[in-house]
Amino acid sequence: MTELETKIRAEAERLLSEHLVDVVVAFRKEDAPLHPQPAFFTQVDELQDLVYNGLCANNLANYLTRHPQETRIGMVVRGCENRSVNALVVEKQHTRENLVLIGIPCEGILDWRHIVALTGENVLSVEENGESVCVHTRENTFAFSRVELLHPSCQRCLHPNPISADVLLGELKPEGDPELMRLRIEALENLTLEERNAWFRHEAERCIRCYACREACPMCYCTECFVDHTEPRWSESGVTPAGMQAWHIVRAFHQTGRCTSCGACERACPMDIQMTYLTDKLNLDMIDAYQFEVGMDTTTQPPFATLTLDDKNRFITRGK
Amino acid sequence: MNATPMKVALFQCRWCLYSPEDQAWVDHNLPENIHLVKVPCTGRIDPLFILNAVQGGADGVMINGCLPEKCHFKEGNLAARRQLAEFGSFLDYIGYEQARVRFVWLDLQDRGRIQRELAAFERTLEQLGPAQALATRAPAATGGTHD
Repeated sequence: MTELETKIRAEAERLLSEHLVDVVVAFRKEDAPLHPQPAFFTQVDELQDLVYNGLCANNLANYLTRHPQETRIGMVVRGCENRSVNALVVEKQHTRENLVLIGIPCEGILDWRHIVALTGENVLSVEENGESVCVHTRENTFAFSRVELLHPSCQRCLHPNPISADVLLGELKPEGDPELMRLRIEALENLTLEERNAWFRHEAERCIRCYACREACPMCYCTECFVDHTEPRWSESGVTPAGMQAWHIVRAFHQTGRCTSCGACERACPMDIQMTYLTDKLNLDMIDAYQFEVGMDTTTQPPFATLTLDDKNRFITRGK
Repeated sequence: MNATPMKVALFQCRWCLYSPEDQAWVDHNLPENIHLVKVPCTGRIDPLFILNAVQGGADGVMINGCLPEKCHFKEGNLAARRQLAEFGSFLDYIGYEQARVRFVWLDLQDRGRIQRELAAFERTLEQLGPAQALATRAPAATGGTHD
């Protein structure tokens, strides 16, 4: 058990035993060493299963909307999760007073697919020592540097530190470089129209329409998604090019000014489809046009929810 | 002139054409290549409407609405401006030129402007050529949902 885990358990135990929260949302140890699972702790004696390491891949803010507003929730949050929680509070999905955020400065999430690709399927355990990661398989032991195993979204992470946590455990990490995300999007924007379309089709048309990305996303909390409507049918529901493209376009567009670039959608995708190049582009547009960054406070509404007459608008052309 | 005229989806707010002659022309005399979708306000236009037009094979999408202070519902067009403008630029990012999505905000003195705007838009589209990249919906003849 790492020092950080001890601190998280102690904090969770304090919250539960003093009845400050009804449930603590964190990660639980599983038999599969690469997949700690999100878990809901309501009793102090359950906390022995609580773990926290670089393989905790889910965005826990996802579980905020599955509880009634009155539930007092203690939640382990990293930088992206903290911003997702803020964005959800802005959208009135929970009251901030009923939340206790246990903040952890994040070292980045390890990409389990990348680990399996490098070491083979038989992983027994993963040991993290600061900047190095040791993977033990049934046959062998591999040593990696942490950076090479990081999930792509975490390599581009802007805010690894929780920005409004109630309790902060561990040492603060340096902020990320905003240019990394911008460079990636600009590289795509500089391609020709045909190349951009080919890239989009290559990604979107591997989709099997399992909607794992939607289920993993904290901001996708609609009780009925547009793809589930049958009357009227908004988009083709089958695994057809039109249906797959419509899903990717509209899913991303519904995230405009709401996505925190946590990459949970990509980590959940069984087909290894890239999706953050869509939401990151929309995020950058929101930063450039409205100076709006998602989840930086609990009061600012996203641009599409605010209307002003004095918008700069390149579309208004008066009669010739 | 092109042999096949460009297909245009025209989303028109029902309050933006102040002159009855213009409205009558739009309602009854539109050329066949222009498909009219009348909406109560531009704020009613979901990005999905535009996506459906694009996937259904529209070479261009024109959106007519009222000027900012003139919205019949006070601020429906403000919501539309922010969202649909961004959607247009997002479609450009994945392969549908931004010039193919055009907004025309009409005013009281703009009598007859809609015809000029449509003609100019069609000329732009003819220069760009037909849009194939996102026209992925299967035609009705093969069991699809559009014709």
